[in-house]
Amino acid sequence: MTQPASLYADQPTRQDAPQDARLRARTLSVAYAQASILSDLTLDIPDGEITVIVGPNACGKSTLLRSLARLQRLSGGQVLLDGKSIHHQRSRGVAQRLAILPQSPTAPEGLTVHDLVSRGRTPHQSALQQWSRQDARAVEQALERTGMAPLAQRSLEALSGGQRQRAWIAMALAQETDILLLDEPTTYLDLPHQIELLTLVQSLNQDSGQTVAMVLHDINLAARFASHMIALRSGEVFAKGRPEQVVTRENMAEVFGLKCQIISDPVHATPHVIPE
Amino acid sequence: MTHWTLRLPFVSLRLSARGSAIALALALMIAAGALLALRLGSYPLAPGTWGAILGGAGSDIEQMILLDHRLPRILTALGAGACFGLSGAMFQTMLRNPLASPDVIGFNAGASCGALVAIIAAGSAATGGTILLGALLGAFCTAVLVTGLAWRNGLQAERLVLIGLGVGFALAALSDLLLSRTDARTAADMTKWLIGTLNARDWQDVTLVWAGLALLSPMLVWLHFPLARLGLPEDLAGGLGLRLSQLRLTITALGIVLATLAVCSAGPLPFVAFAAGPIARALLRNGQPALLGAAAIGALLVLAADTAARMIVTLHLPAGVFTALIGGPVMIWLLVTQLRKGKL
Repeated sequence: MTQPASLYADQPTRQDAPQDARLRARTLSVAYAQASILSDLTLDIPDGEITVIVGPNACGKSTLLRSLARLQRLSGGQVLLDGKSIHHQRSRGVAQRLAILPQSPTAPEGLTVHDLVSRGRTPHQSALQQWSRQDARAVEQALERTGMAPLAQRSLEALSGGQRQRAWIAMALAQETDILLLDEPTTYLDLPHQIELLTLVQSLNQDSGQTVAMVLHDINLAARFASHMIALRSGEVFAKGRPEQVVTRENMAEVFGLKCQIISDPVHATPHVIPE
Repeated sequence: MTHWTLRLPFVSLRLSARGSAIALALALMIAAGALLALRLGSYPLAPGTWGAILGGAGSDIEQMILLDHRLPRILTALGAGACFGLSGAMFQTMLRNPLASPDVIGFNAGASCGALVAIIAAGSAATGGTILLGALLGAFCTAVLVTGLAWRNGLQAERLVLIGLGVGFALAALSDLLLSRTDARTAADMTKWLIGTLNARDWQDVTLVWAGLALLSPMLVWLHFPLARLGLPEDLAGGLGLRLSQLRLTITALGIVLATLAVCSAGPLPFVAFAAGPIARALLRNGQPALLGAAAIGALLVLAADTAARMIVTLHLPAGVFTALIGGPVMIWLLVTQLRKGKL
């Protein structure tokens, strides 16, 4: 087997210098009833990139994402958004800059796609200003960009799994935030729909420079769509960097306990894991 | 689905045509129902004579029947029904569980138990104010008890419902025990009230429930916006910038006050708070909390139950028997559909 590092010699070089990051975690710790979930995490979510968080089950990936969205009570450290502790900022102000989509969310029965996507406007609305021109425009755009416009009047239950997930993404888009956090957006989707959804996320990132951080289960998809990866093991950052720096034979053995070979994906030239 | 957009300098809204049509239809039904209830009874009063009676021209007996009996009774029924419906829809939406209404989770039982304690403690000095205070205290204590017992690293609606059911039964038993301490006549009156009745309502009851509704309505308008978003998963609602703990406290307090107002004016009518929301949501089918719809359905349910109770004079059944007759099947329908979806 070739050494992975040499495979990427002719790749366009990505910046290795420290990057700007509006969202950072500093010595972040989370514990539930004495049990430590995350301990002493320090990491950046680089601006304008797609960061993918990987790791074995129950390593704290979702907790990390919730902490970054100030939905989690911390037992130590802090999360900084634009230089200030996110837990000390107004919820509404945070929600105007950062959107989070939890894993397999459910909606009230009968809610239409349009109404769901409109809910994304919440941080820009109030009890009095419930439907400004800006709201209408943002919802229209989010529906267009996710290809959900023709299905806008359908109720959510009437959609397929892939369509439903795109509707939820549209909701997060309508929030018009610079940072988008997604917790396993591909759960319960078959492979073509996983690719379709991740391609959508990639195009959102490329078209508008939206910073994306997501948790993904599939290492190969993670390596293909990420520009930055973070590998967690039992609540700690084990590795971070470009996919080819994180997805290595040694790291896979350490993080997942998986014996494997790494080849270069012949189509996308990203690292590809072949379990032994 | 057609929608209308309203944009003024400081206000913008999006209204669905279907929702507006249903609201209008419900309003018409309430008006028609109230007029019919005004006319029906063992002493028929033709609509043509109402104007004269209101103007003070009718006979004494007509004056008494219309102004002292039917009108306050009907207005109390509508107000209490609206309060029950609102309270139920608020709790159901906030807890994302159709079983979580104040009559199921024991809050109504707490209010009536508190009222009973106040009546017995104050004896002949009991006024509307002491009873309201006792009922409010009872309901709030029950809420604290039920939430406290159900709390385990946060609140789970299913556990809250089951514990609330248990606490409700315990409180009903406590009420029975309290009744056995009173004299036979009071006990007989109280038993009827505990089932829920609108017998002998006067203008004091009307004022209580409608003034309460009027005072709370600005808050209801305000809370409708976040409530419509609390139907989403907790993390999502939090991610949208809603301050969840604060909202939940406010909604719970408001829901308890509404349920207490209704209990004080009509007794703990069973199943109204429970059934109004699901019926309204089934009519609207738009995933919204349907507060206005639930208020209207609640008002209609209580009015229908009370009118039925008045029509069957020979049996002297309290209105609560009829709301249970209507609400019971709704509960079975909900349980069956929820179970089928595996969401219970």
